[in-house]
Amino acid sequence: MHERRRKRSIFDLMSEYMEEFEALADELMESFAEHPSWNTESCCLEPLCNVFVTPEEVVITADLPNAEHESVKVEALSEDLIDITAKMKRKMRFDDFGITHREGEFSSLRCQPRIPVPVDTKRMRISFKHGILEIRFPRKRDYEIKVE
Amino acid sequence: MSELVKIVEKKPIPSGATMLYGLPDVGLVGLIATSYLISELDSEEIAYMDSDLLPPVVVLHEGLPHAPLRIYGNKSFIAVISELAIPASALHTLMRTLVDWGQTKKVRMMVSMGGIPIENRQVIAEPKVYGAASTKELLDMLSKKGLSILKEGYMVGPQALTMRYCAEKKIPAIGLLAQSFYNYPDPEAAAMVLKELSKITEIKIDISKLLEKGEEIRLKARDIMKRTQQEMTRMKKSQEYDLPLYV
Repeated sequence: MHERRRKRSIFDLMSEYMEEFEALADELMESFAEHPSWNTESCCLEPLCNVFVTPEEVVITADLPNAEHESVKVEALSEDLIDITAKMKRKMRFDDFGITHREGEFSSLRCQPRIPVPVDTKRMRISFKHGILEIRFPRKRDYEIKVE
Repeated sequence: MSELVKIVEKKPIPSGATMLYGLPDVGLVGLIATSYLISELDSEEIAYMDSDLLPPVVVLHEGLPHAPLRIYGNKSFIAVISELAIPASALHTLMRTLVDWGQTKKVRMMVSMGGIPIENRQVIAEPKVYGAASTKELLDMLSKKGLSILKEGYMVGPQALTMRYCAEKKIPAIGLLAQSFYNYPDPEAAAMVLKELSKITEIKIDISKLLEKGEEIRLKARDIMKRTQQEMTRMKKSQEYDLPLYV
């Protein structure tokens, strides 16, 4: 017997389109993020970093293993771009990762996370514990809407 | 066993062993712990997994190609590791196949090692390890050994599926989960899990070398951590933060 096709409502169709769109957007974002975690020209390894937005602050963390504590530097390149650098205690070569078909030496860690919402970069607070760098920026507030 | 995932046995598989899972997940805790255990204890590759559900990847070791998902073992344990972030879409089939396979090998118990992400991990010197289990008797055993128990909440990912499939099949299963970073490799959390594993099983291991190599591991694990994070987003790992509804 012929099975009757279930009628799809406009909401079903919209939800399917949204799912497809989200999957495509995810793929696109990942393709932008696809790049090596090392740079032989600048002799840098890219550390892992994370950006977290709370109602009050933007918190950026970076995992800086093998970093010299005194060399950790944080610089605001613009209102929404931060440069994090640190010298490594011990230089590493591709050899140290078991890679013999590439040549290069790495002496520092560097990443440039983007800040997604307006913040006050002049009031950033920085801590470095357990090899994890943490930078906290207070969020900018333009105006307050009065509740009547 | 599923047709979509094939487990190819290379050597005789020990019977009655403890089966350990160290698949990429939060802080790569299980993967780091299992990789260290394999390298420190006398074990060899006994099987590997093949599946069209996985990306077209081989890993080269000493110039020779290897499957990224492999099973190591000796008389007392069988350990599953993956050098690949497992696609979230393949996880159900893969875990079901592994649990079914373990059952045919009459494993004594299945142990998933992993992490529980906490926000202030960097201020904790010694991460605490929590236990989960598939039966009341195993939970009591974990409590007696001094572990805190995960009583309520959500588990997401490989250890959640191991627990579910093992409970269905009445295979004893335990989860050892250390407080850890979410998306940074966490060798210290892995060391704490191994310490607890030594207390509850016959697998004894010295964790001092793992702690010494911590910084090196964190540097080397950056890429697989990044790819694992993408898969954790797809499997909605953040649901572990959710508060369950009990009326």
